[in-house]
Parts: sequence; C-alpha cells; structure tokens
Amino acid sequence: MAELVIFLVLMTLGYLFGRHAEKRHYASLIGREKALNALPAIAMRTPPQDVIYSQQLVMGNTVISVDYFKRFLATLRNLFGGAVTSYETLLDRARRESLLRMKEQARELGAEMVFNIKYETASISKGQRQAIGAVEVLAYGTALIPDVPDNRLES
Amino acid sequence: MKYENPQIPEGINSSSTNPLKELLLLTSGALLALAIIAFVVGQASGWLAQFIPFETEQAISASFNRVGRADPPLQQYLDGLAERVQHSMDLPGGMDIQLHYSSGDTVNAFASLGGHVVLFRGLLEKLPHENALVMLMAHEIAHVRHRDPIRALGQGIAIHTLLGLLLGYVDAAILGETGLLTQLHFTREMESEADMAAQKALFSIYGHTAGAGDLFELLHNEHAANGGAELPAFMSSHPLDQQRIDALVRQAEAQGWVQQGGVKALPAMFSDWLDASGKK
Repeated sequence: MAELVIFLVLMTLGYLFGRHAEKRHYASLIGREKALNALPAIAMRTPPQDVIYSQQLVMGNTVISVDYFKRFLATLRNLFGGAVTSYETLLDRARRESLLRMKEQARELGAEMVFNIKYETASISKGQRQAIGAVEVLAYGTALIPDVPDNRLES
Repeated sequence: MKYENPQIPEGINSSSTNPLKELLLLTSGALLALAIIAFVVGQASGWLAQFIPFETEQAISASFNRVGRADPPLQQYLDGLAERVQHSMDLPGGMDIQLHYSSGDTVNAFASLGGHVVLFRGLLEKLPHENALVMLMAHEIAHVRHRDPIRALGQGIAIHTLLGLLLGYVDAAILGETGLLTQLHFTREMESEADMAAQKALFSIYGHTAGAGDLFELLHNEHAANGGAELPAFMSSHPLDQQRIDALVRQAEAQGWVQQGGVKALPAMFSDWLDASGKK
C-alpha cells in the first residue's frame, strides 16, 4: 500500500513540475529563436564561395532529464508499442535548445552564419534497466566569421 | 545566395495528445491484461494441481500431526463414523482420512492437505443428531476426495507467484505453515460439489436424507447470531445456507431418495465428552 502511495505522489509531482518546466522552456525557446533568426544555421556543406570567411567550430550541448510521469508512460508504451509521445516534446526541446546554444556561441565570435550543422544524441544512464534517465543532444557546425566588414572579392 | 532561418511553426515534431488520457488508456489496458492472465493462470493451476499425487500432499502436511486428537472415547466414536463415511464414499486407495479435534469455541470445521480434517468443539456441541455429524464429516471428506485443498492451494500460489513476478515483490511467507492454511479458499462450486457428495453418502449410510439440511440451518442461525445480514452470494465463498438446503432437496428429489426418516441421536455421553475436553 505504501508503495502505491509513493508511486502516486511521484507521478503527480512529475506531471505538475514537468508540465510547468516544459511550458517555461518553450516560451524561452521561441523568444530566443526569434532573436537569433538573423544568424542562419544551414545544413549545407559548402559555404558561399564569393566571400572569404574565417571559420570556427561551434557547439551547443543540452542535457534534459525525464520526469517520473513521462518515464512511466514510456514504460507502458514499451509494453504495447506505438509512438512514445511523452518523449517527443523532450527531444524537440533538447534539439532546439542545442541549436540555439550553438548559435549563441557563434554570435559571441561575431559570426554571420553557421554552416554544415549536424546533431548527435546520447542517452545518459543507458545501463540502468530500460529507463532513459536523461537525454543529451549536441549540435555542432562551422561558424563563418567575416574577416573584414566588407570583404567581397573583386569580381 | 541568400541564407535565412524563418521561424518554424510549432507542433510539428511533437504530438498534441493529452498525456493524462494516454495514461488512463494504457493503464487500464495493462490492468485488464493482467487480470485476464491472472484468471487464466489461476484456473489452469487449479486444474493441474489435482494431478499432484496424494502421497506428496501427505508429505507436505506432515506438520498437521501436531494438531491434537480428542480423548479416546470421543476420538473412537468420531473415527468410527469417519470409517463408515469413507467406505460409502469409496475413497481411492492410499487416501487416508485423519480426524483431528480442537477444543476451541469456533463453530467451524475444515479439510486441509493430506487428508487432515479438523473438527472444532464449538460446532460439534451444536449438532442436533448423528445424521448432521455424518453430513458434516462427509462434506469435509468429500473435499479431500475431490482434491479441493490442493486445487485451492495451487490456484492461490500460482496467482500469488504471478503477481510477485510481474509486480516485483516476493513474499516467502506463503511457503510457511500459516501460508498453507490461510490460502485455503474453496470456491462455491467446490462447496456445492461437496454438499452433493455428502448427501449421497448420508443416504447410503442411513437409507434416507432426513437431517441433511439441519447442519445448514444450524450454520445459518450461527451467521445470523453473529450479527449482520449474510453477504450477497457473490461476495462470500460459501453459497448461502438456504440455497444449499434447497440444492440438497433438489438432489434428493432428482435421485428419488427418501427424504423422511428417523434421525439417529448422538451417543448419550457425547456432550459429556465435549465438556470434558473443553475444560482442559
């Protein structure tokens, strides 16, 4: 009986705090994305050929943990199969946050844009039974920093 | 080439399903599946348990021999009756009934593993005549004959183990002595079957079925006296007493048995024997 009560308390806490954290994070993400849209992040490999840039590797890293409620839902999904919707928002937030942090690093360097961006994901505490404890997302790319204010090649 | 990052619309990479609704759906699905599996496992184990040899039951229940017997005159009388019942019920070879007696006030009697049957003084002193006593014994011996103790135990242990495996707790107490006793929960079908077999034995011993219902009248009065209405039939493991009496009458009519007859009185010394043991 005691275990059931503890379980319910954890579930309620997880749900309430998780929902609150998620709403706040999304608000922050949308605000910062609007601000950084001026610094494009492009997945193409070849940078523009008409300007000389100095290039620098930039990275953005995020680790987000799962709350108890989401973890339990995912465990049930493991039984029945189907889309684990409880983790979808988690990964969406982690990816967008990593991208933003990478852009922020690029802005610190005075870059104009970031090219050839890629993502990597790792799940921390992989060994602990099947529960995913936390998710790490790394976004990295090449920041293109203009050498001089106006350095277009003479055509 | 102009490179841009427009604001991406929300809600593409995540679903808008309500997590609470999903939780409710998945949890009720899981609980339903669990209930079905537990039911199937229980029924299967109950059925399989009857193939455990009786000798194994006797070996497991050897600790029962510590439950006392009555003083010689009473024990002899009871054993004598039990012998007659066993003969009339045609028990398989090797199935020996061991009658035990407890001087407690409980108005009850039960059959456990290995052919051990325990009669309590509280019930014995309320029996009106020998026919009721034979009916009682025949009922308990019928449980043994039908292997009801091992079947009930098998079902109980199987479900307990399944839940333990799935939900992750281990309760070793089930294997102890208290575990063996407390898990004995006969279904209503088992009780009805035992009633039918008992009345058949009663008829073959006395030539009529008079007095068969008196045992249940007595139990009914006991239940009523203990306060509280009887639980509705589906909530209690014993079929309601009146239903049992009716079922007995229907069986007698169907078989064409004589239902009237003189009941045999208990021996004159019977209540003295009970009092003597109660004073210990």
